[in-house]
Amino acid sequence: MPNHSDRCLAIDPLVTPYVDGHLESGDRRTVDEHLQRCAPCASRVAAERAVRDLIHERRATLARSCAPDALHGRCAELARLNDDARPTSRADVFGAARRLQPTEGARGHQPGGAARGFSQASWRTRLAPLALAASLTLLVGAAFLYQLTESSSRVLAAELAADHVKCFALNSMLHTHDSPTAVESAMVSGFGWRMQLPDTGSVAGLELVGSRPCLYGEGKIAHIMYRHNGEPVSLFMLPRRVRTQEVVDVLGHEAAIWCAGDRTFVLLARKPRQEVDRLVAAVQASLR
Amino acid sequence: MARSLGSRAVSPAFEAEALASLDSLYRTALRLTRSPVDAEDLVQETFLKAFRAADSFRPGTNLRAWLFTILHNTARNRIRDRARDTVAVDSEIVERAAERPPAGGIVETPESLLLRDTMAPELQAAIDALPPAFREAVWLRDVEEFSYAEIAEMLSIPIGTVMSRISRGRHLLFEHLNRLRPVNA
Repeated sequence: MPNHSDRCLAIDPLVTPYVDGHLESGDRRTVDEHLQRCAPCASRVAAERAVRDLIHERRATLARSCAPDALHGRCAELARLNDDARPTSRADVFGAARRLQPTEGARGHQPGGAARGFSQASWRTRLAPLALAASLTLLVGAAFLYQLTESSSRVLAAELAADHVKCFALNSMLHTHDSPTAVESAMVSGFGWRMQLPDTGSVAGLELVGSRPCLYGEGKIAHIMYRHNGEPVSLFMLPRRVRTQEVVDVLGHEAAIWCAGDRTFVLLARKPRQEVDRLVAAVQASLR
Repeated sequence: MARSLGSRAVSPAFEAEALASLDSLYRTALRLTRSPVDAEDLVQETFLKAFRAADSFRPGTNLRAWLFTILHNTARNRIRDRARDTVAVDSEIVERAAERPPAGGIVETPESLLLRDTMAPELQAAIDALPPAFREAVWLRDVEEFSYAEIAEMLSIPIGTVMSRISRGRHLLFEHLNRLRPVNA
């Protein structure tokens, strides 16, 4: 770098805290003295300070934009969703999380069993030294694990609705489009499930978009994406029979849940219930 | 904290404090995604994860910083999910750029005078035009006013890298805004 002495390089890490006023007096004096002798560094500091001051002056305006009311409403609803379905104890969650760490997935989880030999005191001790990010990962992992086993249909539907929105947002950017044969072979290779997709011709306006392993549940959930009259429709398949048949209204979406064979299905769309029922009937007919 | 409130998983205080950060999370999500639809989706997923993991939040620590950590991790996972290789290359370039001190002697007149007339929309556009790593660092520091240590924890990077990203981001902004000034400014 031209015109930069070793002294300039030594000063470099101090410049930002100097501009922000976070330097101890000794370091601040060192920078002050250097800036008096070095015009390029003085100019660099002045430029950084000018931008910092400008942002601070305009901060009130920059920070004025607010989240839409609808988003406030949906996020408040998410808090309430958690009230009706939590594990029976915190140890359950941590036990589940611990078992998630090696290679075991959701399979084989027995409610209550995870608490054995893993007291609340012991997990507190384990967690105490962990950094925020590490403990967060552990818990989020656990939260998505138990959706497969213990949570209510409403919580499951909320998480799948979030995944539905995310996958379609991704799809509208990437414009991926899979053939029925590609999706059927992905179900075999990814999940070991031989299945015949619903014939899209049987429902007017239904179009296959593609499939992907769901990001939640350690990839155990298959997600087949459709558009019906242009609007996103998701069909999720979980590997076990864990639900009774019901339709849940969550986050502006209707989620129809039912079991067939050894799987649980969830069809999810932002559509009136009658339309969702019609789509479910078409899917169920094709899976018989 | 939640257990002391009986069966309720998310305490009213936790919920209220978390939702009070929604606007600033949304603004930051907007800067990260530059798309209102993606920003809403990102914030919604952040709250979904936060409420589900509410038990893991240690009372007395900074809830707002905790939520921003979830926001950042969620955004980063999404980007990785979209293009794993692109992110790896991009972050490498970013780190190299951050290590290189910007050239000195940029201006001859007092710098603050040069930027004096820059209005918020122009500044906002310049911030949005920054490479993502610098945009995020400058935004979290100068608009959301997090400390270096909080940002380092949120982004899982050393404090030195936080400071160099802020510095580099501010200098890129200066150069960008300076180019926009009329010649006789």
